[in-house]
Amino acid sequence: MDKSTSRYNDIEKSDIFNNEFMVHVDALYNFAYKLTQDEDESKDLLQDTCMKAFRFINSFERGTNAKAWLFRILKNSFINDYRKKSKNPGMVDYQEVETFYNSEGNEIETQPTPDLRSETVKGMLGDEITNALNSMDVDFRTVIILCDLEDFKYDEMSKILDIPIGTVRSRLHRARNILKQKLAIYAASMGYK
Amino acid sequence: MGAFVRWIQKAMMSKKARCPEEEHWLELVRLMLDGQTTEEETSYVIKHINGCYRCYDNYDLEKEIRAALKKKSINLKVSDALISEINSKVKA
Repeated sequence: MDKSTSRYNDIEKSDIFNNEFMVHVDALYNFAYKLTQDEDESKDLLQDTCMKAFRFINSFERGTNAKAWLFRILKNSFINDYRKKSKNPGMVDYQEVETFYNSEGNEIETQPTPDLRSETVKGMLGDEITNALNSMDVDFRTVIILCDLEDFKYDEMSKILDIPIGTVRSRLHRARNILKQKLAIYAASMGYK
Repeated sequence: MGAFVRWIQKAMMSKKARCPEEEHWLELVRLMLDGQTTEEETSYVIKHINGCYRCYDNYDLEKEIRAALKKKSINLKVSDALISEINSKVKA
């Protein structure tokens, strides 16, 4: 970046990086891991995110939501760099997914869902919950991670994902229906009552 | 007495007791749990779920799924070695 547009000096940059960015490093790592589902790729993605955050630190306004800013960088890096070379050939882009789920009569939402009770979910193991989440398409998985695991609000998710708030809301609703269905089918197959 | 209450609950949870606007209320319940409703909207949702077994059950299940996701998901910590690597790359 041109020095004339530099907002911070080296000491300030270092201070922001250490005190505003690095405090979120575990959350970023978990997000990266849940997206890539691969330990090595998640480490690379985390490093890339940190490097980019430092490189573009002048576009960060001190005291604003650093966590959301960093998650946005990580999500963009994942889409632009990692998704393309992903080992998972089943991944499609956000727009394709949105179009599919907005179309009438798609199979997932019209399939009858076995009843699922809260006591059943309470009794499920961590692996069962994790497997259900991981088996979801990455676009739906992402909104659940951001909302239910990282406690981002809809407006923050809208900025992280570059989509309108209305789309956050509808995508989240569909994602939760899909997750619930996966848990219900799994519970039924395992004989949970 | 307990068996009778369970029988009533089961009967209320049967298909006949399904809320005619279940999907609509489910969406509102989710918005409420996400902190996206106003005080007035929250009261409106609570009033409905307190009078509708099906929607109350959905509310309970939604809360449980969220709690399970949070409690049972993998929570990784970045190793000191990786933090050192990041710091050295940034400073390079």
